[in-house]
Amino acid sequence: MTTSHVAESSAPDAMHEAAIEAVSRARRETRRRLRVVFLVVALAVGFLLYKTLSGAVTYFKTVDQALVSRNLLGNSDFQLEGVVLAHTISRPNATTVDFVVGGTGHNRIVVTNSGEPPELFQANVPVVLVGHFVGATDHFQSDQILVKHSNSYIAAHPARVRAPNGSVR
Amino acid sequence: MRHLVPERSRVDQIQRLLGLAALIGMVATIWLGLFVTPPDQFMGDLVRLIYIHPPLAWVAFIAYGMNFLASLAYLWPRSRDLRWDQLAGASAEVGVLFTGLTLVTGSIWGRPAWGTWWTWDPLLTTTALLFVLYLGYLALRRVPDDRELRARRSAIAALIAFIDVPIVYFAVLWWKSLHQAPTVLNPTTHRTYIHGSMAWTLLLGFVAFTLAYAWMVMIRYRLGGVESRALEEQISAALLDRQLEGSHE
Repeated sequence: MTTSHVAESSAPDAMHEAAIEAVSRARRETRRRLRVVFLVVALAVGFLLYKTLSGAVTYFKTVDQALVSRNLLGNSDFQLEGVVLAHTISRPNATTVDFVVGGTGHNRIVVTNSGEPPELFQANVPVVLVGHFVGATDHFQSDQILVKHSNSYIAAHPARVRAPNGSVR
Repeated sequence: MRHLVPERSRVDQIQRLLGLAALIGMVATIWLGLFVTPPDQFMGDLVRLIYIHPPLAWVAFIAYGMNFLASLAYLWPRSRDLRWDQLAGASAEVGVLFTGLTLVTGSIWGRPAWGTWWTWDPLLTTTALLFVLYLGYLALRRVPDDRELRARRSAIAALIAFIDVPIVYFAVLWWKSLHQAPTVLNPTTHRTYIHGSMAWTLLLGFVAFTLAYAWMVMIRYRLGGVESRALEEQISAALLDRQLEGSHE
């Protein structure tokens, strides 16, 4: 076999090996990327599933539920839901608001909230309060008020008039 | 699949019409929402976000529904075609964009209405999960591999991710939530809790954003086709170069 024959037969072999190497390198890279994608998504999904199962599905306790499990709740933080009763809102100072939330029947919990309530906070609306019971009492100390609004939308001024310039007031 | 690739000029025309209709619909929605509809009895002017936020969420659901159906069509042996995979990818991209916008507008609405930007409420948490699942799906699509293998893998991931869609929709009904129950055609009561010009503007918002979805998916689907053809040409050119190199050596 001459030198030229050796060169002719080894060139396709080298190309073949280079192609195999390129394919296996691409496969390694694909596997690496798949592992990274899987890891990142699994971490994010795991965290969100944890939040869903640990807190979101039992997002709050109603006034009735909180009073029934008063002893179990102790002074631990939880989210309490109830309707702000009319004529119970008072502001002893600039950073505190006191009010009473009601459940069914005569179930009521007195609340002291530290911090500015949201702008839609008012009597007769359902709220979710983040806080805990004080000592052994049924007095609830909250540091966040979340206002729930219903799914019903009603025009504030159903009998609005059209001004001479065409604008609606 | 022939119906997915009608004549080019006709497709261009449909695409332009869709874009124009979506634009007109969105401008009309914003105009009606900001200047014509009345404030709400309880929320005041904050209610104006209702003309944007629920339609965005609606489009995200449509997008994931389309992604699910297209993935199913790809996995089904009789209808297996890479164009279904292309459609699934296009729809998921638009869905992720609209889910992101749903989360952002919800947060903007939540701050003054609820008093917080974010809370781990069942609906919010499962929606965030939906966003992450489909981001993962899109990341999976970007992993380079054989096109058929990648399409099959993506289709299976799409079917898994879709499990969260009904969970998001029913979250406010299954669990105690800060978020209100659906306003339009409430699945529990089968009633609608919005009336007059507010209801019509909301309906227009749904139509306008659905048209925008169709327009965006159409563009992305066609762009996907161009990308595929460009990739095939690149591969062919690279193979030809290799062959030429081999014949010169």
